[in-house]
Amino acid sequence: MSEAGINHKFAFYLGCIAPNRYPGVESASIKAMKKLGVELVPLKGASCCPAPGAFGSIDLAVFYAMAARNLVLAEQMKMDIALVCNGCYKSIWEVNHKLKHNKDLRDAVNEVLKEVDMEYKGTINVYHTAELLYNDKFIGVDKVRDSVTNPLTGARIAVHYGCHLVKPHKDREFEKEVMLNTECPTWMEELVSALGATPVEYRNKMQCCGAGGGVRGYDIVHALDITNEKLINLKEEKVDALTDICPFCQLQFDRGQIEIQEKFGQTYNLPVLHFAELLGLAQGMSPQDLGLDLHGISCEPFLQKVL
Amino acid sequence: MARTKGYPEALDKKLREQRFFREDSNPEFTKNVKAISRTIAHMCYQCGTCTGSCPSAPRSSYRIRKFMRRAVLGLENEALTDPDLWLCTTCYSCSDRCPRDIIPTDVIMSMRNLAFKRDIVPVNFLKTVTAIYASGHGVPNNDVNRAAREKLGLTRDPPTTHMYPEYMPGIRKIIDHYKLKAEADRIIKEREG
Repeated sequence: MSEAGINHKFAFYLGCIAPNRYPGVESASIKAMKKLGVELVPLKGASCCPAPGAFGSIDLAVFYAMAARNLVLAEQMKMDIALVCNGCYKSIWEVNHKLKHNKDLRDAVNEVLKEVDMEYKGTINVYHTAELLYNDKFIGVDKVRDSVTNPLTGARIAVHYGCHLVKPHKDREFEKEVMLNTECPTWMEELVSALGATPVEYRNKMQCCGAGGGVRGYDIVHALDITNEKLINLKEEKVDALTDICPFCQLQFDRGQIEIQEKFGQTYNLPVLHFAELLGLAQGMSPQDLGLDLHGISCEPFLQKVL
Repeated sequence: MARTKGYPEALDKKLREQRFFREDSNPEFTKNVKAISRTIAHMCYQCGTCTGSCPSAPRSSYRIRKFMRRAVLGLENEALTDPDLWLCTTCYSCSDRCPRDIIPTDVIMSMRNLAFKRDIVPVNFLKTVTAIYASGHGVPNNDVNRAAREKLGLTRDPPTTHMYPEYMPGIRKIIDHYKLKAEADRIIKEREG
């Protein structure tokens, strides 16, 4: 333990949408994790992961090399990576995993990285902050519960797990085995309960938000139709808020509701919060500290319930 | 490398002899899909669990099972010119449930890679490449967000390539190594003038 109360340090990989659209996710993560003994250190010079769907669809060889560059930056800091986005997890964790286990891929990537004086060595691991929160080796549900000063009592909150943190489960290697259940997992609901809120199950919980794979850019109506199906299922359960662990899913549910209103004429006004933002609220951060005013859908009705 | 059943030579022989290719099928396509996707695409027995798990299937004509068949039969043109190829959200539900342990999502990704090599690619995918080439980010910062970040006690630009543009030449060098930016620019120009 180098500093008082800090048990773990990670290179904080930001990605694009968290810092550039929902900066509250970035500030809440840094502050909330610090209270839980985890310091997130800036990963200087990181780029887009790059986007696994949009970029990976073009040329996976370049995708591997670009993700490897981000990994090397953390290797140079001698730190494991922590990140807040499922899409980034898909790129950064999965490329790290692939390069560690496939010499042919590693050699090909290193041939290119040599041109920029870098070498991928495979010396670090990659974690999602949700995984750090759930795994008691790092933090654990009990510690999360102990850090709550403003319990979100009475709020009915549904979880959107998203896809790329947990799927495909046959490739994933979580230490906590329950995280490998992708049909009906409940570990995020445990975290929601730890904040004092009531987790709510809903139909087809594990369905995709619709945005991934470049589909949001390719056919927005198709993407929104998938989102809309989830919103219909959520409305049935009369939830106060939806929580996610992926800023891209958050963008699709939050800004997406405005687009759904324009294109399909359906209104939901369902507040959508990243789990880091929820955790911040429960630890006593104000909505202003979390930049909740930047959300497309007002969080007010939910905030009135919990503040 | 000793393998008990003699793959892949025995498989190659079987593919040659059984003549289940159509006239327009290309055996190289099956091999390329397998090489890029790094999954056993040729093992698909068409149960349809993939399409049954697919969020895109109920709202379009996209059928992942069809693409799996095209992979097995080497139906390159049919696969790569089908606009439905780009409707996969890469949610990996099919891959989680495939009873043959195939990763159909990665089969789709490999087909998209092969389509791009023939200039078959929606422009929005290319624009992600050009955005990353320009700033390092697929979704870059803007002034409204800079002001918001400041209020939250964050730096106006995140400590990524945005705050440290000196990292950009390295990124451009990597992308240029594969001539990806030049290709993207050329195709965008051809489409949009």
